[in-house]
Amino acid sequence: MYNRIKELRARNNLTQDDLANKVGVRRETIVFLEKGKYNPSLKLAYDISRVFNMTIEEVFLFGNEE
Amino acid sequence: MLEINNFVLGIFNILKECIMKKAVLVFVVAGLVLVTLSVWIYQSGFNQSFTDISMYAVIIVIVAFAVFIGLRRLKSLKLNQPPEDELSKKIMQKAMSLSYLISIYLWLFMMYISDKTALHTHSLIGLGILGMAVIFAVCWIVISRIGVKDV
Repeated sequence: MYNRIKELRARNNLTQDDLANKVGVRRETIVFLEKGKYNPSLKLAYDISRVFNMTIEEVFLFGNEE
Repeated sequence: MLEINNFVLGIFNILKECIMKKAVLVFVVAGLVLVTLSVWIYQSGFNQSFTDISMYAVIIVIVAFAVFIGLRRLKSLKLNQPPEDELSKKIMQKAMSLSYLISIYLWLFMMYISDKTALHTHSLIGLGILGMAVIFAVCWIVISRIGVKDV
């Protein structure tokens, strides 16, 4: 699973700390997500997508969608 | 209405305090271990064998690891972030399960060497428990580095 968190975060002028505070996780979790070292729970994926006003499918890409 | 607000705020403060206590608890446990270690060293005299000194060193390393975890939690609290979230819980779970598996082999090894060494049973058990703690710390560090990717 891939994600566009880093790109969307830069587009929305959000720091990793800002995004972490908005979705209620630690900054390290955002770092791990951006590096692709962690696949989030459905709730966290939904929360992150809501921060960017997008759907889960637009933020998280499965398989060869990238 | 004001009373209800105060009641809700009171509950919120209690919850916040509990989260803070969870972060501080690590320091309390680490302090207790250090105090116990000091008493142990003082009571057994300052003429220690190499095995004893190695055991003290391992205990100090484990306490340092606990303090490191506690500091991470406090840092998160300072940044208004939860001390534990889904990733840290998952890392902890994975580290626990992996260290349990490795510990089984550690105890098998301890049983094997128990007949071949002159160590007392209580020393062997102590070494085994310390070994389990070290294995857990190593597993936690490794999993924190490589991440948790289930899919």
